Amino acid sequence: MPYKEQLIAELSDLLGSKNVLTDATALSVYECDAAPSFKAMPDVVVFADTAQQVSDIVKLANKHDTPFIARGGGTGLSGGMLSVQGGIIIALNRMNRILEIDYENERTVVEPGVVNLLLTHAVQNQGYHYAPDPSSQKACTIGGNIAENSGGPHTLKYGVTSDHVLGLEVVLPDGEIIELGGVVEETPGYDLRGVMIGSEGTFGIVTKAVVRLTRNPQAYQTALAVFETMDDASNAVSTIIGAGIIPAALEMMDRLVIRALEEAFQFGFPLDAEAILIVELDGIEAGMQNQTDRMLEIFKQHNARDVNYAKDDAERQQLWKARKSAFGSFGRLAPNYITQDGVVPRTRLPKVLRRISEISEKYQIPIANVFHAGDGNIHPIVLFNERDADQCERVEHVNMEILSVCAEVGGTITGEHGIGVEKMDYMPLIFSQADLQVMETVKDIFNPTGLCNPGKIFPTAESYAKLGLQPELS
Amino acid sequence: MSNSDALHDELRRIVGESGMLPDAQIADYTIDGLTPKSVVLPASVGEIQDILRLAAAQHLSVIPAGSGSKLRSGNPPEKVDIVLAMTRINEVVEYEPADLTVTVEAGIRLAALQERLAENGQFLPLNPPYASRCTLGGIVATNTSGALRLHYGTARNLVLGLRVVHASGTVVKSGGKVVKNVAGYDLNKLYIGSLGTLGILTEVTLKLSPIPPRQAILTAQFQDMQAAAKAGFSVVGSQTLPDFVNLVVHSRLACVEARCPTLVVGFGGEAETVTWQLAQTRRIMEQNGGIGVKEIEGESRQQLNDAIQAFPEAEGDSSIIVKMNLKRTDIAEFAEGALAETREMMALLGSGVFYLKMEEVKGILDTLANLRERAVKSHGSLIIESASPELKQQIDVWGPVEGRTLGLMKQVKARFDAGSLFNPGRFVSGI
Repeated sequence: MPYKEQLIAELSDLLGSKNVLTDATALSVYECDAAPSFKAMPDVVVFADTAQQVSDIVKLANKHDTPFIARGGGTGLSGGMLSVQGGIIIALNRMNRILEIDYENERTVVEPGVVNLLLTHAVQNQGYHYAPDPSSQKACTIGGNIAENSGGPHTLKYGVTSDHVLGLEVVLPDGEIIELGGVVEETPGYDLRGVMIGSEGTFGIVTKAVVRLTRNPQAYQTALAVFETMDDASNAVSTIIGAGIIPAALEMMDRLVIRALEEAFQFGFPLDAEAILIVELDGIEAGMQNQTDRMLEIFKQHNARDVNYAKDDAERQQLWKARKSAFGSFGRLAPNYITQDGVVPRTRLPKVLRRISEISEKYQIPIANVFHAGDGNIHPIVLFNERDADQCERVEHVNMEILSVCAEVGGTITGEHGIGVEKMDYMPLIFSQADLQVMETVKDIFNPTGLCNPGKIFPTAESYAKLGLQPELS
Repeated sequence: MSNSDALHDELRRIVGESGMLPDAQIADYTIDGLTPKSVVLPASVGEIQDILRLAAAQHLSVIPAGSGSKLRSGNPPEKVDIVLAMTRINEVVEYEPADLTVTVEAGIRLAALQERLAENGQFLPLNPPYASRCTLGGIVATNTSGALRLHYGTARNLVLGLRVVHASGTVVKSGGKVVKNVAGYDLNKLYIGSLGTLGILTEVTLKLSPIPPRQAILTAQFQDMQAAAKAGFSVVGSQTLPDFVNLVVHSRLACVEARCPTLVVGFGGEAETVTWQLAQTRRIMEQNGGIGVKEIEGESRQQLNDAIQAFPEAEGDSSIIVKMNLKRTDIAEFAEGALAETREMMALLGSGVFYLKMEEVKGILDTLANLRERAVKSHGSLIIESASPELKQQIDVWGPVEGRTLGLMKQVKARFDAGSLFNPGRFVSGI
């Protein structure tokens, strides 16, 4: 029997054949994540239900020298779960139990397949939520969030996934099950839990996590400010932060995004505005009005045309629904899009946004902007048609130039989406070969065979060539 | 010429006369009874590289240091040859207030940095012990924090990027300079709390916060530990957002009656916000049996703040500082038990951190071992932050790390510092 059939037979013995997908149509669902420009077909998809099963699958994969990749909600934006060398995709969606909720210690123990928003739903009656809130939170899973160290609008004040994870149970790439971190805030030794978070599924498979619960704030003040120019809006952002006001979230959308959203959902945004800011203050009600007034003053200073406040929770929810629906509306603007994810120092936002608009002009490729302005985390949405070869080539240049600008001003090429396969080529823009060598070393410690999620993160010789750089070979 | 003189000369050639600590002061850097052969204060990364090259060639150990406030940390080192003190590499590299971030050289003292940031109404929200002396590199390497961690987090949450010189002399960076960054692995986490065993930190980029317009402290005494803890947890779980909720038993603190459990709760924010929180907290304290609830103001507030920050500092050779990480719901029980062993303790109730100040009395080893066993059973840990070399010879200051996890840690050390140049033996399980 050829090795692949042997492997599939053994996986079926282990999990039952109904938990092993090999049919081409069924597999095609797993050939990409939410960045559909990148595709690769796995050989087999399996559904695991326990850590022990994950461990057994991993051991089989090792036995057959086959790559394996964990997959959660499939909402990633960098092709992080792509089976670029074929192999086994281990779907963790069935491991979706909330094992323990401990309100007194403000912790919960969950399996990796728990959907982000469902965790919040499970605790909201007690006045708690899970703070990291990616736009995909209706579908993305805690395991995926841990792999990518996901952010979201409210990470401006509350921090990213890593700030909310205390402990992990991990199946190492050789199949051994270990624990990193714990239920308390610190454990002795190197912080391997911290290193595991954001390792994009290349250090092992998380099968359980202890995460923090965050108490809901007493009050919110959510404002929508309308600007005539992007410059005014982005200057308002750095003035707010510089003035010592730290909103819970501070989001910007440009005209293209407003138009797409309006066409799709009719939220009632002004179609003639160049930019809008959604700003949310949260915390204690007493004193919040002072901050709101100071913020209004700053908006005015920066020529805001209009400022409206959410009058009740329904209006607030509606505003956030609009913001988080943005990605669902881009289909109206172009057949295909790529979402960039650079981060720049907040004070550089006006300059960087101008540069992006120049790049768009230069290559005649429309770019929409919807992003976490308070963090300086930009999301230029590069719009194109993948059937137009000439456009695709220009898009390559656009991507490269946008990320180069981010690197130039002291920023980074990804704030929350990860490198995956999408941005491997651009890693040399921000890391030296020595920096990357250290990362390779750590990867080699966790994943010496390289079978756990291969072909991600690290630039290749072609990447250097593409950037016009000469890798110094060691 | 003796070996030691030869080493001095070679080091002097690298760092110059001003980079050599005078012989008379070298004893200040004695670690667990071992006096270094030399203490050097390099002025540049190039000098650090040269020192490491020299040390590697002669199989000498290098002990990274800042101001020397953490020399009592860790297990006794296998050997202490060259102490590499970073205090001359101490500039602010980049500071744009509106970005709310700062990049500094690792040898800068926290106090000096705070002074600079305060000019712009900002601060680094860390209040670790040894406030006047400690350096940023030392804070990051030892992951020290203070009571403010409840509200602002620790180095894990505040460090955005690091620059490190490895044993090979290679200079690498981890992270970056912006507040969100998932490009590549998050190796900042590996260096934070690694006690200088993986490399010399030379540069740190940090997240800052605005200084709150008003700060306030409220205190109350309680009949017993359970009542105090219950009141404290009610504050932690209320709609207030305190900077810290500390349960203190302290024999010498001005506002704290000896052996009477006292809650010390701090707030920072808009004046109106703080006023509301004070009122809420006062009500919670009184409902839970708080006695003499009062706001500590003016100079007394500053003194109390300083005393809380300095609580985990070692005093004298026989003092033992124990730090436990516990589930916050376990703290009351541990605190009650500890009353028999010590007169001074402080719990950061919201963070689950519990400090004990003990004396080296007969039976102390058993006491520590029992406490640790109970802590580990409760999924916590016990670290001895400071103790005499004699005591440290008899008990592991870090406690156990599980088999395979320890294996990974040992591999990290072996791959980063194959010759065990840095701090040999001081970290967990002999790393």
